[in-house]
Amino acid sequence: MMEVGKLLSAAEITELAKKRFQEERKIDHLEGWFLAKEIQRRCDSDYKDLPDSIRIAKTQVKVAKELPLWISDYSIFAGTQDDAFARSYALINPAFSVDSFKGYCDPVAVFGDIDPIGDITQERIDDLRAYNEQTPFAKALEHANDLAGDLTNEAIFFFEQVSGHLIPDVRPMLKDGICGIKDRIAKNLAKETDESKKNYFEAMNIALDAALVYARRYAEIAHEKADSAKEEKDRERFAYMETVLRKVPENGADNLYEAIQSFILIWQTMCLEQTPNPYAFSVGNADRIFEPYREKDDMNRELAAALFKHMLVFFNVADRSWAISQNLLISGISNDGKDLTNSTTYALMDAYYDMNLPQPILSTKLHKDTPEELYSEMGKFFFTPGCLTPSLFNDDSVFPILEKVSGVAPEDLQDYSVAGCQEPLIMGKDNGNTTNSWLNLAKILELTVNGGVSEISGKQFGPTDEENGYGSKLEVLKNVRTLFYKNVDRYLDRMVECANAASEAIGILQVPFLSTMMGGVETGIDARDTKRQGTKYNGSGCLIHGLSVVADSFIAIDNLVAERPQDADRLIEALRTNFENDPELHQYLSTAPKFGNNIPEADREAAEIAEKISDMVTSRKNYLGNPFRADWATPSTHLLYGYWVGATPDGRKAREELNYGVDPLFGDATQGLGFRMLSNMKIPFEKFNGGYASHLGINPGYFKKESYEEKGIEFKDKVIGPLFYNPKNDTVSPFYLYVNVTTPEMLRKVLAEPKKYAPSGVYIMRIHGTFVNFLDLSPDIQEDIIARLDPESAAM
Amino acid sequence: MTDEKWLESSFCPHGAIREHTLDREVCKNCTGMECIRLHRGKGIKYSCQDIETGALIEEILAAQMMYYDDGGVTFTGGECTIQFDELQTVLKELKAQEINTAIESNGAHVKLPELFPYIDHLILDCKLINEEKHKEVMGISNRIILENIRMAAEKHPSVHVRVPLIGGINNGEEEIKELLTFFRSLPQEHITFEVLKYHEYGKQKWAECGLAYTMDEKAKVASEEVNAFRERINKAGLRYKGT
Repeated sequence: MMEVGKLLSAAEITELAKKRFQEERKIDHLEGWFLAKEIQRRCDSDYKDLPDSIRIAKTQVKVAKELPLWISDYSIFAGTQDDAFARSYALINPAFSVDSFKGYCDPVAVFGDIDPIGDITQERIDDLRAYNEQTPFAKALEHANDLAGDLTNEAIFFFEQVSGHLIPDVRPMLKDGICGIKDRIAKNLAKETDESKKNYFEAMNIALDAALVYARRYAEIAHEKADSAKEEKDRERFAYMETVLRKVPENGADNLYEAIQSFILIWQTMCLEQTPNPYAFSVGNADRIFEPYREKDDMNRELAAALFKHMLVFFNVADRSWAISQNLLISGISNDGKDLTNSTTYALMDAYYDMNLPQPILSTKLHKDTPEELYSEMGKFFFTPGCLTPSLFNDDSVFPILEKVSGVAPEDLQDYSVAGCQEPLIMGKDNGNTTNSWLNLAKILELTVNGGVSEISGKQFGPTDEENGYGSKLEVLKNVRTLFYKNVDRYLDRMVECANAASEAIGILQVPFLSTMMGGVETGIDARDTKRQGTKYNGSGCLIHGLSVVADSFIAIDNLVAERPQDADRLIEALRTNFENDPELHQYLSTAPKFGNNIPEADREAAEIAEKISDMVTSRKNYLGNPFRADWATPSTHLLYGYWVGATPDGRKAREELNYGVDPLFGDATQGLGFRMLSNMKIPFEKFNGGYASHLGINPGYFKKESYEEKGIEFKDKVIGPLFYNPKNDTVSPFYLYVNVTTPEMLRKVLAEPKKYAPSGVYIMRIHGTFVNFLDLSPDIQEDIIARLDPESAAM
Repeated sequence: MTDEKWLESSFCPHGAIREHTLDREVCKNCTGMECIRLHRGKGIKYSCQDIETGALIEEILAAQMMYYDDGGVTFTGGECTIQFDELQTVLKELKAQEINTAIESNGAHVKLPELFPYIDHLILDCKLINEEKHKEVMGISNRIILENIRMAAEKHPSVHVRVPLIGGINNGEEEIKELLTFFRSLPQEHITFEVLKYHEYGKQKWAECGLAYTMDEKAKVASEEVNAFRERINKAGLRYKGT
């Protein structure tokens, strides 16, 4: 077969990719998910007598047959994610405001994210919405909501049914093709005696056909485009696409072009299976996935990068890149300690750097022997203004944590990857249910000191002081830790009950196509099954909010109790009135020692809370009896949950944001980066098998070398090395960090004069684990980013 | 020192704080100092902190993780040698603990050479060579300073001399020539030089401490002047090191 490099040069391929992206950004409506849901509704009736898994698989094929498809004039690969996503994600919606957040648990909220267009009338939308309010899934989710009662109203905790957020292992499908997978299914089916598993093998076999249908339909479109092409070069391009589409994904790929084409259609089918909005699927360790195919014909870095540019564009959905948090990882270490950086690593980096797109996100896995060249290359990302930056993982810490805490087998460690923002999962083997539950420690603290009453609404949520056995506020404050942990215990039980019910609900929506890449081919069990474990590893996530707010509050309370115990009631009243009538007490509390300044008592408190709460979370069991995983990440939810938390004893005012992840509350760490790192390193990272979040806003002025590449090495020496590979740190080192290398002043300039500072309309920043186009964000989130740069805390 | 945003009138029973502003005239005769003694706030606080040498050493040792890869502790100022005995105690202990040390000093302390054995990197300022002019501008003779620089160049393994270039003070041709002549006269084996552009990083703190900032616009120098001086240092065969 002809090679793509003989048809088009790297420059020509790049030009097409950029035009394709511009074209994609002009799409300001998404209806594919709606059409797919209508087809699903029809299939619910047509196939109602079939077992669920088979009905769902057949529905998949039906969707593949009927969904409108097209190939752009600028494409070199066929396929799109557009039909799997709605224009929903709040944080990149300019209309979003913090007070409107209601969680992600409403199964029909998405119907508010589509406007009538063409023959899709409001009546049709309302009709489908009404249908989806009555499905078994919606009913089961309603049950989960009923269990929560009013506890989620003010964000004491949240829970959700997790879609997306997994890492399929696409390698077998790329290598052997769908026909190879079908062969394995047939063999396992022949051996199977369990009827339900037999059905499930059959369902997977059918679901795989959906990808073949897409390939065939795209091949026909490519054929037509070749026929109608005016330029010979275009004709050859579309003819080549047709040829490849008739080969993959049905058969194994034999070069990089075929592997990418195969991958795209697999991904498209997988996302459509969970439409709408399967956020945060992760590609996994992309350089290792694609390197064998690049190597086959020794494709050069420039051409490989050009092909990857089209793959990156594929991850961008419509005008705001609505498919968020799809993560692609590079580099890392092998099980036997070898560095796994390869030629594809650098080709992917080149593609990312040149395109600078809002999605997919890039993460780099590092270890103490990561080659200097990788840091040099990362320097370009860190120091080019408005350029995306990779988030950083420390394999030297992640491996032992996953092995000891999550029980991951040594042979699987190198296959850990990251789903969503920063949650480490084993590619193809781990259903971590990562965003299943969300716990708000700061709200629980508020209820603890305030006799169970919300400072925000005045509503009684928990037991009164008397019911807790305390006769005065001073007694409550003296025993605040005991009471707080008791309350956490109580709310955790409720949260877990709701979260497991939500998992039961989503379990109704089986995923036979995805399951072929999650161990289902061997087990005959759905990856979402809540009764039998279909994946080698399983758990449920709990994202924990408010670490430093609670730690600093405990310290402030201790000081008050020791220095001015007569002010116990005054404190409660000041909190209730948001310090408005008591600025003196507000300042007194604000000047108490804060986490993030290398002050032993504050750091010790934060470490103790992190350890205790992590243990409490891990002691809870999910629907399969597996532990919940402690995840100290707050993906912008520190802002959303903070809105529901009244004033806290650390001096934070009502409705202000909570601290981000395990970081100090912005403005509270004032001693510079070194001291902030020292505080950070006292946290028990070995307990965080669910992941955690940490961010540094770094002023580029601290880096004095000339070139971006040299600054990359400097960045390693000044930031990454001390944090990740500190030889004097005898505990488990931090394993995650993301940075924004800029200043608040620079961001204000970008907002004031976007045409001058971001002429392309794209100025990439990171918020939590994902990239965002800073200019796409809602004003609330823009302000949050600027505030959270917190330059004083990272001064050098 | 004060931070007006946080200044509350309730901090002072003598009425010194009104509408977030402190009237320091009232403070002059104050003996109660209720604002500091009875209140702990962000609006008014001491600009410094007393700490015993033992506690300081403990704190430094607790931060050891940040000293790897040739990192260490730098004592700056104000002028760190003003607390000479305490500085010596701490430096000795840090050397015993094999922690890298550096000081940034105006070089005016007569006993500075006694500290040499405990300092890995000696950073000294050198503003003017002319003694009379130095007296006029700085209020003290530069005789000890120049002697200390010379002794450091002879005896200390790592000396870095910095010239803060200040408009109207030491940026004239004559002053620069004198500086270069002095620098050339030193043993060059362990010494480097640097020119710093005049800055006003401390201006806000002076205001917060209620002090008059007496420098004016004339003190500012152009980057070209700094670069030209740097070139002359290089051309003179001296080793320039930007930090």
